[in-house]
Amino acid sequence: MNSSATTTTKSSQQGLFAFLLSQLKPRGKLLTPFNIISVPVMIAGVIILYIRFTQGLGATTNLSQTNPWGIWIGFDVVTGVAFAGGAYIVTFAVYVMKMEKFHPIVRATVLNGFLAYMFYAGALVFDLGRPWHVINPIIGNSFGYNSVLFLVAWHFMLYMLAELIEFSPVVMEWLGLKRARRIANGLTLAAVIFGVSLSSLHQSGLGALFLMAKPKIHPLWYSEFLPVFFVVSSIFSGISMVIIESSISHRVFKMQLGPGSHEKLDDIIIGLARGAAMAMFVYYFFKALIFIHDGQWALMHDGWGMWYLLEVLGFVLVPMVMYAYGARHRSVGIIKFAAGMTLIGILLNRLNVSIIAFNWNSADTYVPHWMEIVVTLTVVFAEIWLFRWIVCRMPVMREPGKIGSPNREREMRSLN
Amino acid sequence: METYSYLNIFETKGLEYILLILFMIMFVFLYRYTKAGIKNDRD
Repeated sequence: MNSSATTTTKSSQQGLFAFLLSQLKPRGKLLTPFNIISVPVMIAGVIILYIRFTQGLGATTNLSQTNPWGIWIGFDVVTGVAFAGGAYIVTFAVYVMKMEKFHPIVRATVLNGFLAYMFYAGALVFDLGRPWHVINPIIGNSFGYNSVLFLVAWHFMLYMLAELIEFSPVVMEWLGLKRARRIANGLTLAAVIFGVSLSSLHQSGLGALFLMAKPKIHPLWYSEFLPVFFVVSSIFSGISMVIIESSISHRVFKMQLGPGSHEKLDDIIIGLARGAAMAMFVYYFFKALIFIHDGQWALMHDGWGMWYLLEVLGFVLVPMVMYAYGARHRSVGIIKFAAGMTLIGILLNRLNVSIIAFNWNSADTYVPHWMEIVVTLTVVFAEIWLFRWIVCRMPVMREPGKIGSPNREREMRSLN
Repeated sequence: METYSYLNIFETKGLEYILLILFMIMFVFLYRYTKAGIKNDRD
Protein backbone atom coordinates (compact mmCIF):
# COMPACT_ATOMS: atom_id res chain seq x y z
CA MET A 1 0.00 0.00 0.00
CA ASN A 2 1.47 3.39 -0.95
CA SER A 3 1.57 6.40 1.37
CA SER A 4 -1.37 8.28 -0.26
CA ALA A 5 -3.67 5.22 0.11
CA THR A 6 -2.65 4.84 3.77
CA THR A 7 -3.41 8.52 4.41
CA THR A 8 -6.86 8.17 2.75
CA THR A 9 -7.72 5.08 4.86
CA LYS A 10 -6.58 6.84 8.04
CA SER A 11 -8.61 9.98 7.32
CA SER A 12 -11.66 7.85 6.45
CA GLN A 13 -11.32 5.96 9.74
CA GLN A 14 -10.95 9.25 11.63
CA GLY A 15 -14.03 10.57 9.83
CA LEU A 16 -16.05 7.50 10.80
CA PHE A 17 -14.91 7.77 14.41
CA ALA A 18 -15.76 11.48 14.56
CA PHE A 19 -19.16 10.73 13.01
CA LEU A 20 -19.94 7.97 15.55
CA LEU A 21 -18.81 10.25 18.39
CA SER A 22 -21.09 13.03 17.14
CA GLN A 23 -24.02 10.58 17.05
CA LEU A 24 -23.60 9.75 20.75
CA LYS A 25 -24.54 13.28 21.76
CA PRO A 26 -28.08 13.54 23.13
CA ARG A 27 -30.66 15.17 20.87
CA GLY A 28 -33.91 16.91 21.71
CA LYS A 29 -35.30 17.87 25.10
CA LEU A 30 -34.03 15.98 28.12
CA LEU A 31 -36.86 16.82 30.52
CA THR A 32 -39.77 15.02 28.84
CA PRO A 33 -42.50 13.18 30.83
CA PHE A 34 -41.20 9.83 29.54
CA ASN A 35 -37.60 10.61 30.61
CA ILE A 36 -38.71 11.86 34.03
CA ILE A 37 -40.59 8.59 34.69
CA SER A 38 -38.22 6.12 33.00
CA VAL A 39 -34.83 7.30 34.31
CA PRO A 40 -35.50 6.78 38.07
CA VAL A 41 -37.15 3.40 37.31
CA MET A 42 -34.14 2.30 35.24
CA ILE A 43 -31.66 3.40 37.93
CA ALA A 44 -33.66 1.42 40.54
CA GLY A 45 -33.79 -1.54 38.13
CA VAL A 46 -30.01 -1.59 37.68
CA ILE A 47 -29.50 -1.53 41.47
CA ILE A 48 -32.00 -4.40 41.90
CA LEU A 49 -30.25 -6.40 39.18
CA TYR A 50 -26.95 -5.88 40.98
CA ILE A 51 -28.57 -7.30 44.16
CA ARG A 52 -30.07 -10.17 42.17
CA PHE A 53 -26.72 -11.18 40.64
CA THR A 54 -24.77 -10.80 43.90
CA GLN A 55 -27.29 -12.21 46.42
CA GLY A 56 -29.39 -14.53 44.27
CA LEU A 57 -33.02 -14.80 43.16
CA GLY A 58 -34.37 -15.11 46.72
CA ALA A 59 -33.26 -11.57 47.60
CA THR A 60 -35.26 -9.88 44.85
CA THR A 61 -38.11 -12.21 43.85
CA ASN A 62 -41.00 -14.18 45.35
CA LEU A 63 -40.02 -17.28 43.38
CA SER A 64 -39.98 -20.64 45.15
CA GLN A 65 -39.55 -24.34 44.38
CA THR A 66 -43.33 -24.51 43.76
CA ASN A 67 -43.35 -21.39 41.57
CA PRO A 68 -39.96 -21.27 39.85
CA TRP A 69 -41.19 -19.07 36.98
CA GLY A 70 -42.48 -15.56 37.68
CA ILE A 71 -43.16 -12.44 35.63
CA TRP A 72 -39.60 -12.30 34.27
CA ILE A 73 -40.56 -15.39 32.28
CA GLY A 74 -44.34 -14.90 32.06
CA PHE A 75 -44.22 -11.28 30.92
CA ASP A 76 -40.72 -10.57 29.55
CA VAL A 77 -40.11 -13.79 27.66
CA VAL A 78 -43.47 -15.46 26.95
CA THR A 79 -45.54 -12.28 26.39
CA GLY A 80 -42.70 -10.14 24.98
CA VAL A 81 -41.90 -12.66 22.26
CA ALA A 82 -45.58 -12.86 21.26
CA PHE A 83 -45.67 -9.04 20.99
CA ALA A 84 -42.55 -9.17 18.81
CA GLY A 85 -44.32 -11.42 16.28
CA GLY A 86 -45.13 -8.45 14.04
CA ALA A 87 -41.66 -8.50 12.49
CA TYR A 88 -42.03 -11.90 10.88
CA ILE A 89 -45.59 -11.16 9.72
CA VAL A 90 -44.74 -7.81 8.10
CA THR A 91 -41.46 -8.99 6.50
CA PHE A 92 -43.26 -12.05 5.11
CA ALA A 93 -46.00 -9.82 3.68
CA VAL A 94 -43.53 -7.35 2.14
CA TYR A 95 -40.62 -9.48 0.92
CA VAL A 96 -42.31 -12.82 0.18
CA MET A 97 -45.91 -11.89 -0.69
CA LYS A 98 -44.76 -8.60 -2.30
CA MET A 99 -47.40 -6.51 -0.52
CA GLU A 100 -45.60 -3.22 -1.14
CA LYS A 101 -48.31 -1.30 0.69
CA PHE A 102 -46.72 -2.32 4.00
CA HIS A 103 -43.16 -1.31 2.98
CA PRO A 104 -43.13 2.05 4.86
CA ILE A 105 -43.43 0.29 8.23
CA VAL A 106 -41.06 -2.60 7.60
CA ARG A 107 -37.90 -0.96 9.00
CA ALA A 108 -39.49 0.24 12.24
CA THR A 109 -41.17 -3.15 12.69
CA VAL A 110 -37.95 -5.10 12.17
CA LEU A 111 -36.10 -2.79 14.56
CA ASN A 112 -38.84 -3.17 17.15
CA GLY A 113 -38.80 -6.97 16.75
CA PHE A 114 -35.01 -7.15 17.00
CA LEU A 115 -34.91 -5.00 20.14
CA ALA A 116 -37.81 -6.91 21.69
CA TYR A 117 -35.94 -10.19 21.25
CA MET A 118 -32.70 -8.66 22.49
CA PHE A 119 -34.26 -7.28 25.68
CA TYR A 120 -37.14 -9.66 26.44
CA ALA A 121 -35.36 -12.88 25.53
CA GLY A 122 -32.24 -11.45 27.17
CA ALA A 123 -34.27 -11.09 30.38
CA LEU A 124 -34.24 -14.88 30.53
CA VAL A 125 -30.75 -14.56 32.03
CA PHE A 126 -32.18 -12.78 35.11
CA ASP A 127 -34.29 -15.81 35.89
CA LEU A 128 -31.58 -18.44 35.66
CA GLY A 129 -30.24 -19.59 39.01
CA ARG A 130 -26.82 -19.98 37.43
CA PRO A 131 -26.93 -17.44 34.59
CA TRP A 132 -23.46 -18.30 33.29
CA HIS A 133 -24.95 -21.65 32.14
CA VAL A 134 -26.98 -19.81 29.49
CA ILE A 135 -24.16 -20.45 27.03
CA ASN A 136 -24.32 -24.26 27.46
CA PRO A 137 -26.86 -25.05 24.71
CA ILE A 138 -24.71 -23.03 22.29
CA ILE A 139 -21.18 -24.23 23.06
CA GLY A 140 -22.15 -27.86 23.52
CA ASN A 141 -21.34 -28.20 27.22
CA SER A 142 -24.46 -30.30 27.79
CA PHE A 143 -26.58 -29.38 24.77
CA GLY A 144 -29.81 -30.61 26.39
CA TYR A 145 -31.27 -31.40 22.97
CA ASN A 146 -34.14 -33.38 24.55
CA SER A 147 -35.49 -30.14 25.99
CA VAL A 148 -37.81 -27.69 24.24
CA LEU A 149 -35.63 -24.94 25.71
CA PHE A 150 -32.78 -26.18 23.50
CA LEU A 151 -34.91 -25.40 20.43
CA VAL A 152 -36.04 -22.08 21.91
CA ALA A 153 -32.46 -21.04 22.78
CA TRP A 154 -31.10 -21.79 19.30
CA HIS A 155 -34.09 -20.24 17.57
CA PHE A 156 -33.87 -17.04 19.59
CA MET A 157 -30.20 -16.71 18.77
CA LEU A 158 -30.58 -17.47 15.05
CA TYR A 159 -33.68 -15.28 14.72
CA MET A 160 -31.90 -12.32 16.27
CA LEU A 161 -29.13 -12.85 13.72
CA ALA A 162 -31.69 -12.99 10.88
CA GLU A 163 -33.31 -9.76 12.10
CA LEU A 164 -29.92 -8.09 12.38
CA ILE A 165 -29.27 -8.96 8.73
CA GLU A 166 -32.74 -7.65 7.78
CA PHE A 167 -31.98 -4.37 9.56
CA SER A 168 -28.34 -4.06 8.45
CA PRO A 169 -29.08 -2.08 5.22
CA VAL A 170 -30.34 0.75 7.47
CA VAL A 171 -27.07 0.75 9.46
CA MET A 172 -25.02 0.71 6.25
CA GLU A 173 -27.09 3.59 4.88
CA TRP A 174 -26.52 5.52 8.11
CA LEU A 175 -22.77 4.97 7.88
CA GLY A 176 -22.74 5.81 4.17
CA LEU A 177 -21.29 2.42 3.18
CA LYS A 178 -22.87 1.95 -0.25
CA ARG A 179 -21.17 -1.32 -1.23
CA ALA A 180 -21.85 -2.99 2.11
CA ARG A 181 -25.47 -1.84 1.83
CA ARG A 182 -25.82 -3.53 -1.56
CA ILE A 183 -24.47 -6.78 -0.09
CA ALA A 184 -26.77 -6.51 2.95
CA ASN A 185 -29.75 -5.83 0.66
CA GLY A 186 -28.94 -8.99 -1.29
CA LEU A 187 -29.14 -11.04 1.89
CA THR A 188 -32.50 -9.66 3.01
CA LEU A 189 -34.85 -12.12 1.26
CA ALA A 190 -32.91 -15.16 2.49
CA ALA A 191 -32.86 -13.72 6.02
CA VAL A 192 -36.62 -13.10 5.88
CA ILE A 193 -37.42 -16.67 4.77
CA PHE A 194 -35.06 -18.07 7.42
CA GLY A 195 -36.55 -15.73 10.03
CA VAL A 196 -40.18 -16.63 9.25
CA SER A 197 -39.41 -20.37 9.55
CA LEU A 198 -37.58 -19.83 12.83
CA SER A 199 -40.23 -17.54 14.20
CA SER A 200 -43.19 -19.82 13.61
CA LEU A 201 -41.23 -22.67 15.19
CA HIS A 202 -40.09 -20.89 18.33
CA GLN A 203 -43.44 -19.14 18.87
CA SER A 204 -44.98 -22.62 19.01
CA GLY A 205 -41.93 -23.82 20.99
CA LEU A 206 -42.81 -21.41 23.78
CA GLY A 207 -46.23 -23.06 23.99
CA ALA A 208 -44.59 -26.49 23.90
CA LEU A 209 -42.60 -25.53 27.03
CA PHE A 210 -45.84 -25.88 29.00
CA LEU A 211 -46.83 -29.28 27.60
CA MET A 212 -44.95 -31.05 30.37
CA ALA A 213 -46.86 -29.12 33.04
CA LYS A 214 -50.24 -30.75 32.41
CA PRO A 215 -51.02 -31.51 36.09
CA LYS A 216 -50.13 -27.94 37.10
CA ILE A 217 -52.08 -25.85 34.56
CA HIS A 218 -55.83 -25.41 34.91
CA PRO A 219 -57.58 -27.63 32.31
CA LEU A 220 -59.23 -24.61 30.68
CA TRP A 221 -55.80 -23.31 29.69
CA TYR A 222 -53.95 -26.58 29.20
CA SER A 223 -54.26 -28.31 25.84
CA GLU A 224 -52.01 -30.56 23.78
CA PHE A 225 -52.54 -27.89 21.10
CA LEU A 226 -50.87 -25.13 23.17
CA PRO A 227 -48.09 -24.78 20.53
CA VAL A 228 -50.75 -24.15 17.85
CA PHE A 229 -52.52 -21.61 20.07
CA PHE A 230 -49.23 -19.81 20.70
CA VAL A 231 -48.22 -19.55 17.05
CA VAL A 232 -51.68 -18.48 15.79
CA SER A 233 -52.08 -15.92 18.58
CA SER A 234 -48.61 -14.54 17.86
CA ILE A 235 -49.90 -13.47 14.41
CA PHE A 236 -52.62 -11.13 15.66
CA SER A 237 -50.58 -10.18 18.72
CA GLY A 238 -47.72 -9.06 16.46
CA ILE A 239 -50.10 -7.22 14.11
CA SER A 240 -51.72 -5.41 17.05
CA MET A 241 -48.31 -4.39 18.37
CA VAL A 242 -47.35 -3.06 14.92
CA ILE A 243 -50.56 -0.97 14.83
CA ILE A 244 -49.92 0.53 18.28
CA GLU A 245 -46.18 1.00 17.75
CA SER A 246 -46.51 2.61 14.30
CA SER A 247 -49.29 4.92 15.54
CA ILE A 248 -47.11 6.13 18.44
CA SER A 249 -43.98 6.39 16.26
CA HIS A 250 -45.83 8.47 13.65
CA ARG A 251 -46.87 10.87 16.37
CA VAL A 252 -43.49 11.06 18.15
CA PHE A 253 -41.28 11.17 15.03
CA LYS A 254 -43.62 13.21 12.78
CA MET A 255 -40.76 15.65 12.00
CA GLN A 256 -39.01 12.86 10.08
CA LEU A 257 -41.99 11.95 7.92
CA GLY A 258 -42.84 13.20 4.47
CA PRO A 259 -46.16 14.62 3.23
CA GLY A 260 -48.98 12.09 2.85
CA SER A 261 -47.45 9.65 5.33
CA HIS A 262 -50.46 9.96 7.65
CA GLU A 263 -52.91 8.82 4.93
CA LYS A 264 -50.55 6.02 3.97
CA LEU A 265 -50.42 4.86 7.59
CA ASP A 266 -54.22 4.78 7.78
CA ASP A 267 -54.33 2.47 4.74
CA ILE A 268 -51.65 0.27 6.26
CA ILE A 269 -53.54 0.05 9.56
CA ILE A 270 -56.77 -0.93 7.77
CA GLY A 271 -54.91 -3.66 5.86
CA LEU A 272 -53.35 -4.94 9.09
CA ALA A 273 -56.74 -4.93 10.84
CA ARG A 274 -58.14 -7.19 8.16
CA GLY A 275 -55.31 -9.68 8.69
CA ALA A 276 -55.72 -9.53 12.46
CA ALA A 277 -59.50 -10.16 12.22
CA MET A 278 -58.98 -13.30 10.16
CA ALA A 279 -56.17 -14.63 12.36
CA MET A 280 -58.33 -14.03 15.45
CA PHE A 281 -61.23 -15.81 13.83
CA VAL A 282 -59.04 -18.89 13.22
CA TYR A 283 -57.76 -18.73 16.81
CA TYR A 284 -61.27 -18.38 18.19
CA PHE A 285 -62.39 -21.38 16.17
CA PHE A 286 -59.50 -23.46 17.52
CA LYS A 287 -60.41 -22.44 21.05
CA ALA A 288 -64.07 -23.40 20.53
CA LEU A 289 -63.13 -26.72 18.94
CA ILE A 290 -60.82 -27.70 21.79
CA PHE A 291 -63.39 -26.54 24.33
CA ILE A 292 -66.01 -28.86 22.82
CA HIS A 293 -63.58 -31.71 22.10
CA ASP A 294 -62.35 -31.78 25.70
CA GLY A 295 -65.89 -31.43 27.09
CA GLN A 296 -65.05 -28.43 29.25
CA TRP A 297 -68.67 -27.36 29.90
CA ALA A 298 -68.44 -28.59 33.49
CA LEU A 299 -65.53 -26.24 34.21
CA MET A 300 -67.60 -23.14 33.51
CA HIS A 301 -69.42 -22.97 36.83
CA ASP A 302 -66.79 -21.33 39.03
CA GLY A 303 -64.56 -18.26 39.05
CA TRP A 304 -62.01 -19.88 36.73
CA GLY A 305 -64.76 -20.40 34.15
CA MET A 306 -65.72 -16.72 34.30
CA TRP A 307 -62.07 -15.70 34.06
CA TYR A 308 -61.67 -17.91 30.97
CA LEU A 309 -64.78 -16.41 29.36
CA LEU A 310 -63.48 -12.91 30.05
CA GLU A 311 -60.26 -13.76 28.20
CA VAL A 312 -61.84 -15.57 25.25
CA LEU A 313 -64.98 -13.50 24.75
CA GLY A 314 -63.88 -10.12 26.11
CA PHE A 315 -60.38 -9.99 24.66
CA VAL A 316 -60.60 -12.22 21.57
CA LEU A 317 -64.16 -12.21 20.21
CA VAL A 318 -64.91 -8.52 20.92
CA PRO A 319 -61.65 -7.12 19.41
CA MET A 320 -62.07 -9.49 16.45
CA VAL A 321 -65.50 -8.02 15.68
CA MET A 322 -64.09 -4.51 16.19
CA TYR A 323 -61.20 -5.22 13.79
CA ALA A 324 -63.59 -6.53 11.11
CA TYR A 325 -65.97 -3.57 11.59
CA GLY A 326 -63.08 -1.08 11.60
CA ALA A 327 -61.57 -2.58 8.42
CA ARG A 328 -64.90 -2.49 6.55
CA HIS A 329 -65.88 1.02 7.65
CA ARG A 330 -62.31 2.40 7.55
CA SER A 331 -62.47 3.48 11.17
CA VAL A 332 -58.87 3.76 12.35
CA GLY A 333 -59.96 4.79 15.87
CA ILE A 334 -61.90 1.54 16.37
CA ILE A 335 -58.97 -0.47 14.97
CA LYS A 336 -56.50 1.14 17.39
CA PHE A 337 -58.83 0.46 20.30
CA ALA A 338 -59.17 -3.16 19.17
CA ALA A 339 -55.36 -3.41 18.96
CA GLY A 340 -55.06 -2.24 22.58
CA MET A 341 -57.68 -4.75 23.70
CA THR A 342 -55.95 -7.54 21.78
CA LEU A 343 -52.63 -6.81 23.48
CA ILE A 344 -54.35 -6.93 26.89
CA GLY A 345 -55.93 -10.26 25.85
CA ILE A 346 -52.56 -11.71 24.83
CA LEU A 347 -51.00 -10.51 28.08
CA LEU A 348 -53.86 -12.14 29.99
CA ASN A 349 -53.56 -15.39 28.04
CA ARG A 350 -49.79 -15.71 28.46
CA LEU A 351 -49.95 -14.80 32.15
CA ASN A 352 -52.81 -17.27 32.66
CA VAL A 353 -50.82 -20.12 31.12
CA SER A 354 -47.52 -19.29 32.81
CA ILE A 355 -48.50 -17.75 36.16
CA ILE A 356 -52.18 -17.24 37.09
CA ALA A 357 -53.64 -20.64 36.14
CA PHE A 358 -50.27 -22.33 36.75
CA ASN A 359 -50.33 -24.13 40.12
CA TRP A 360 -53.97 -23.04 40.38
CA ASN A 361 -54.74 -25.73 42.95
CA SER A 362 -51.62 -25.17 45.05
CA ALA A 363 -51.68 -23.48 48.48
CA ASP A 364 -48.45 -21.66 47.61
CA THR A 365 -49.61 -18.81 45.35
CA TYR A 366 -47.16 -16.56 43.56
CA VAL A 367 -47.51 -12.78 43.67
CA PRO A 368 -44.65 -10.86 42.04
CA HIS A 369 -42.32 -8.93 44.33
CA TRP A 370 -42.21 -5.16 43.69
CA MET A 371 -38.56 -5.55 42.66
CA GLU A 372 -39.58 -8.01 39.91
CA ILE A 373 -42.02 -5.41 38.57
CA VAL A 374 -39.35 -2.66 38.63
CA VAL A 375 -36.92 -4.89 36.70
CA THR A 376 -39.64 -5.70 34.14
CA LEU A 377 -40.35 -1.97 33.68
CA THR A 378 -36.60 -1.36 33.34
CA VAL A 379 -36.43 -3.85 30.48
CA VAL A 380 -39.39 -2.19 28.71
CA PHE A 381 -38.01 1.34 29.20
CA ALA A 382 -34.50 0.33 28.10
CA GLU A 383 -35.92 -1.07 24.86
CA ILE A 384 -37.88 2.14 24.21
CA TRP A 385 -34.76 4.27 24.91
CA LEU A 386 -32.66 2.31 22.45
CA PHE A 387 -35.48 2.33 19.85
CA ARG A 388 -35.74 6.12 20.16
CA TRP A 389 -31.96 6.55 19.97
CA ILE A 390 -31.77 4.54 16.74
CA VAL A 391 -34.83 6.15 15.09
CA CYS A 392 -33.47 9.64 15.85
CA ARG A 393 -30.23 8.82 14.04
CA MET A 394 -30.74 6.14 11.40
CA PRO A 395 -33.09 6.28 8.38
CA VAL A 396 -35.79 4.11 9.99
CA MET A 397 -38.84 6.32 9.58
CA ARG A 398 -37.57 8.81 7.02
CA GLU A 399 -36.83 8.16 3.38
CA PRO A 400 -33.05 7.85 3.11
CA GLY A 401 -31.26 10.99 1.97
CA LYS A 402 -34.48 12.81 1.03
CA ILE A 403 -36.53 13.68 4.08
CA GLY A 404 -35.64 14.57 7.64
CA SER A 405 -32.20 15.18 9.04
CA PRO A 406 -29.18 15.10 6.69
CA ASN A 407 -27.52 11.85 5.79
CA ARG A 408 -24.05 10.85 6.81
CA GLU A 409 -22.21 12.33 3.83
CA ARG A 410 -23.57 15.78 4.63
CA GLU A 411 -22.83 15.36 8.34
CA MET A 412 -19.31 14.20 7.47
CA ARG A 413 -18.82 17.29 5.31
CA SER A 414 -19.97 19.56 8.13
CA LEU A 415 -17.51 17.87 10.50
CA ASN A 416 -14.54 18.43 8.21
CA MET B 1 -77.06 -52.93 29.59
CA GLU B 2 -75.23 -49.76 28.57
CA THR B 3 -77.32 -47.44 26.46
CA TYR B 4 -75.88 -45.73 23.41
CA SER B 5 -77.50 -43.17 21.17
CA TYR B 6 -76.29 -42.18 17.73
CA LEU B 7 -78.36 -39.04 18.06
CA ASN B 8 -76.22 -37.67 20.88
CA ILE B 9 -74.01 -35.20 19.08
CA PHE B 10 -71.61 -35.00 22.03
CA GLU B 11 -70.80 -38.72 21.71
CA THR B 12 -70.66 -38.83 17.91
CA LYS B 13 -68.55 -35.67 17.66
CA GLY B 14 -71.30 -34.20 15.51
CA LEU B 15 -70.95 -30.87 17.26
CA GLU B 16 -67.33 -30.63 16.17
CA TYR B 17 -68.28 -31.29 12.54
CA ILE B 18 -71.03 -28.67 12.74
CA LEU B 19 -68.54 -26.19 14.17
CA LEU B 20 -66.06 -26.94 11.39
CA ILE B 21 -68.68 -26.40 8.68
CA LEU B 22 -69.82 -23.18 10.36
CA PHE B 23 -66.24 -21.99 10.56
CA MET B 24 -65.66 -22.49 6.85
CA ILE B 25 -68.87 -20.73 5.87
CA MET B 26 -68.31 -17.86 8.28
CA PHE B 27 -64.68 -17.45 7.22
CA VAL B 28 -65.81 -16.80 3.64
CA PHE B 29 -68.31 -14.21 4.92
CA LEU B 30 -65.64 -12.56 7.08
CA TYR B 31 -63.23 -12.44 4.13
CA ARG B 32 -65.84 -10.82 1.89
CA TYR B 33 -67.04 -8.48 4.66
CA THR B 34 -63.56 -7.07 5.36
CA LYS B 35 -62.57 -7.00 1.67
CA ALA B 36 -65.41 -4.59 0.95
CA GLY B 37 -63.62 -2.00 3.11
CA ILE B 38 -60.41 -2.42 1.12
CA LYS B 39 -62.33 -2.06 -2.18
CA ASN B 40 -63.88 1.21 -0.98
CA ASP B 41 -60.36 2.37 -0.33
CA ARG B 42 -59.48 2.10 -4.03
CA ASP B 43 -62.61 3.81 -5.30
